[in-house]
Amino acid sequence: MSHKPPVWASGVCAGIHAIGSRDVVYVPDNPLSYVLRVFESEYREVRLILATREEEAFGIAAGLYLGGRRPTVMCQSSGIGNSLNAITSLLVPYEIPLLMVVSWRGDDAGEWNAAQRPMGQAVRAIFDAIGVAHATIPSPDAALDTVRRVGETAFRTNTLGACLLPRAMTTVTAS
Amino acid sequence: MTRYDATRLIVDLAGDAAIVASLGHPAYDLFAAGDRPRNFYTWGSMGVATSIGLGLALARPSARVIVLDGDGSLLMNLGSLATIGLLQPANLAVVVMDNEEYATTGGQPTPTAHGADLAAAARAMRIASAVTVRTEEELRAAMAGVARRLRAEGASASLAVARPDLERAEAGDFQPSVTAGPVVIVAKVDESSPIAKPPIDYVAMKERFMAALGTPHSALRNPQ
Ligand SMILES: Cc1ncc(C[n+]2csc(CCOP(=O)(O)OP(=O)(O)O)c2C)c(N)n1
Ligand SMILES: [Mg+2]
Repeated sequence: MSHKPPVWASGVCAGIHAIGSRDVVYVPDNPLSYVLRVFESEYREVRLILATREEEAFGIAAGLYLGGRRPTVMCQSSGIGNSLNAITSLLVPYEIPLLMVVSWRGDDAGEWNAAQRPMGQAVRAIFDAIGVAHATIPSPDAALDTVRRVGETAFRTNTLGACLLPRAMTTVTAS
Repeated sequence: MTRYDATRLIVDLAGDAAIVASLGHPAYDLFAAGDRPRNFYTWGSMGVATSIGLGLALARPSARVIVLDGDGSLLMNLGSLATIGLLQPANLAVVVMDNEEYATTGGQPTPTAHGADLAAAARAMRIASAVTVRTEEELRAAMAGVARRLRAEGASASLAVARPDLERAEAGDFQPSVTAGPVVIVAKVDESSPIAKPPIDYVAMKERFMAALGTPHSALRNPQ
């Protein structure tokens, strides 16, 4: 049985699609499963590429860009920690743009897992420190527009843009 | 066979393939052996060169992509072999310059110096065509095997292997079993001091590379 997907997940997919991104390289996370399901059912032309580690995902995405694509990387905020060297020593200095969609653990919205807190608390400051533009999706209705705006800016200016999916938004549907 | 010998041989056989090189000595030798617009030199992101090659191979299924990785670098991102095994891109060849050391940082031995087998790791991750080569003849034959297979599959262009080389490889007793799918060639090489380094103008190098592949970045800024 197909349930209606959450509004935020449909918005994320529509935003990624709207900027012409047809390759989504990802490492799974619970909330992202909603996004993956929308892609699988409604956007068959979007290629979903599973990576074993987030840094690998950024490398694959860089190659996709060099080959003429507009890639998206999707991962959990902890995965940004796994990726910092590829971001700072490949994507930034070579000005290889991409869109990141990051499910945010460890924010202030009822996180129960202490292992998620330090990175979750630091992720925005880390983005600022390494020059990655970021926006937190403020509401389900704003998902499409936020993703499109961040993604379009990234690809037009050869920079990196990240959209954070706050837990308060995704856990309404992710039990 | 030194890494420089191996690199020169690969550049000679590469034809119009894109070549992505891992940081440090593998990239330095690629530049010295033959700078060309279709070379992409990494200056950081240790371990990620093979993943860049995979992404490029996925983006451009009719282009041929060769990665020149290092043993230490591949060991930092072994999961990339599982992803390649999963996706089976037929247009990707990963050549690991296995000098059994971290040469760029002073020659500390890597686990391959003690028997860690990267070709076996690749096969275990479902990359059926994974071979270890120890001489230039074997490397040439392995590269010819790639070319032969691509031709058999009707890939848009084959690796430009000179006809005599191909015949010699086919006549020789070294015959890598090459099947459809990606190729990993672990080249056991002697360390050789690099004689040149690629430019550190990263953005210009990237733009040159993309233009050579027919994907100028300007087209990606404003699609249509
Ligand atoms: C993340 C990271 N760790 C360590 C280094 C330092 N480093 C640069 S090159 C290199 C050795 C790479 O070894 P290998 O891939 O085997 O190539 P080789 O130098 O032997 O040709 C190391 C350790 C680095 N640049 N980045
Ligand atoms: Mg080495």
